Amino acid sequence: MSRDAFARLAAHPLFLCGFRPFYLATAVYAVLLLAAWTAMLAGGLPMPGVPGGPVAWHAHELLYGLAMASVAGFLLTAVPEFTGCAIVDRRRLLGLTLLWLAGRAAYWLSGSLGIWPAAALNLAFTAWLLSLFAPPVWRDPGRPHLSLLFALAALAAAQAGVYFADPLTWLHVAAGVLMILIVLAMSRISMRLINGMLDVEGVTGVDYRARPPRRNLATFAIGLFTAAEYLAPGNPVTGWLALAAMAALFNLLNDWHIGRYLLNRWVFLPYVVYWLMALGYGLIGAAILAGWPMVSAGRHLLLTGAMSLAIFVVMVVAGRIHAGYWLDRRRWIPLAAGLIVVATLVRVLSSILTWVGMNHLFLGISALGWMAAWVLFLFRFWPVLTGPRPDDAGGCAEPARKPETPIKEFAC
Amino acid sequence: MNLLRAWFAGIPAYLWSGWGALASLFMFLALWDWGSQIYGDLVLPGPLATFVQLGALVDAGAAWPELAVTAKRALTGFALSLAAGSVLGLLAGLSVTASVMSRPIVTVLVGMPPIAWLVLALLWFGTGDATPVFTVFIACFPIIFVGALQGARTLDGQLKDVAHAYRLPLRMTLSDVYLPHVVSYLFPAWIAALGMSWKIVVMAELLATPDGVGAALAVSRAHLDTAASMAWIAAVVGLLLTAEYLVLEPIKREVENWRTAL
Repeated sequence: MSRDAFARLAAHPLFLCGFRPFYLATAVYAVLLLAAWTAMLAGGLPMPGVPGGPVAWHAHELLYGLAMASVAGFLLTAVPEFTGCAIVDRRRLLGLTLLWLAGRAAYWLSGSLGIWPAAALNLAFTAWLLSLFAPPVWRDPGRPHLSLLFALAALAAAQAGVYFADPLTWLHVAAGVLMILIVLAMSRISMRLINGMLDVEGVTGVDYRARPPRRNLATFAIGLFTAAEYLAPGNPVTGWLALAAMAALFNLLNDWHIGRYLLNRWVFLPYVVYWLMALGYGLIGAAILAGWPMVSAGRHLLLTGAMSLAIFVVMVVAGRIHAGYWLDRRRWIPLAAGLIVVATLVRVLSSILTWVGMNHLFLGISALGWMAAWVLFLFRFWPVLTGPRPDDAGGCAEPARKPETPIKEFAC
Repeated sequence: MNLLRAWFAGIPAYLWSGWGALASLFMFLALWDWGSQIYGDLVLPGPLATFVQLGALVDAGAAWPELAVTAKRALTGFALSLAAGSVLGLLAGLSVTASVMSRPIVTVLVGMPPIAWLVLALLWFGTGDATPVFTVFIACFPIIFVGALQGARTLDGQLKDVAHAYRLPLRMTLSDVYLPHVVSYLFPAWIAALGMSWKIVVMAELLATPDGVGAALAVSRAHLDTAASMAWIAAVVGLLLTAEYLVLEPIKREVENWRTAL
């Protein structure tokens, strides 16, 4: 690409703020990946010949392709907001986006190219993100967001393990680290989201606080399970620790029981994320202890369910607010979120049905429902993410316009 | 009525807060399982094997009668020491002389190992209900006595004067000034004593009686049946945990409410 074309591309509104290209990539890639995976399972497409086999491909692309894009989008927007540092400039953002795309291509082709190009490009992407975030997070007085940096570094370490050691083992580690990252990120978002909602509704006397001891217990329990699963997969010790993670996540929900305001969508959707996560660990624990072949179903509760829904919630909130729009109050959001949850439950059901010897029809239904949610997202968010801001503000700023119905709208 | 409704509305939140405790307990089970994997089932059966064994004991109808006998003895001894300890402790606390006098005696009672009392009780009462009940009573008594003594000794003299100055009726003085204070000392002592009674009774039964959980433990030990031993231990600890978190802890919070409200 010539220097001129690069500059012209970087001037596109898509590169106005860090989340824009990556949230778009997340949703587009979600649809593409699941379409490809379903076609592969149905036999319409050949299975990718990557090292570690098709399941490693499936998991790697969903975690280090899709989830990593959303993590990049989130951190590129959140770190400047949390620490007050400058947002990433357009040319760097375009460079990051191209590197992410190259990483995808290299991994898809790793069957013939070998793992080295994929490893180099994907690790370079994570390392670039780390080098962008480490200085501002470290300089921040009191370093309140250091845990996010640690989680990203752990994600990078697990990524190296995926390429240079046993892929599936390290992908399980990566899934655990992502769960921790979700708890860390959600606690930061939910404080502002829920208290913003309570302010807007004029509620006094109800107070939501994400209490650090409970959060620390949850992340500790998840970390302990992840380490145990790495050291002794399938061991009863790992099973008990999965149950401990479940209990610690349910314990986190003590903060969330704030009466009927729980049913407000901006409270309820993050709440469901924790439920799915807790149920996922619960199912994994029960499966290990009872010897059921349901560990994979539990993992899908964590990833298809909790992770996807967390990504969805963060994207519909931050994706609008930092593009200059107020929060979306339309019906499609609960609909798409519901599709994700139903798709997850159908996916779990399909594991039970496979276990008792029934067909894989449910696998297809689950994939379709999940993809439909992301198609809905793309339909609503394509103009928001790729178009110019509706106000005069620039970059990642919150909406500069007055809200149309001032009482009911709020920023996160 | 409203208070009662608020109390009932708080029950789900209280139960839900138990997840935090469960998280720690599951981690403990993981540690236990790890230990059993290192030392083998013969030395330390794992949690799953223990629970399966416990389930078998319950199914066979062996568990509840033994637990009931044990609970009856523990609670009898506890009730006796609760009554005697509370009344005598409060009386002793009312007078400085009495409390100074009783201190060394309480120290002797606390310092006496329960197993020594058990030996004496065996000599005095032989094998039967009286031995474990007496051992529980004598082991719990000093704990409750000291709690009651301190509750009575630390009563705020100024509050008493205020109550007097306002000519508070005696009944109100007792229920609103003295009782909350004394109970806030008594109650933790009762809880500590209850936990103690549950442990002492099993020990006493092991040596002194033909029935009860302690006796069942003695039998399983004689058969080198570690799984059954662990199952009985799990049953005893499980009952204690349930009583602690479902009955005593909520009451304790209720009783100690006034401290945070101050």
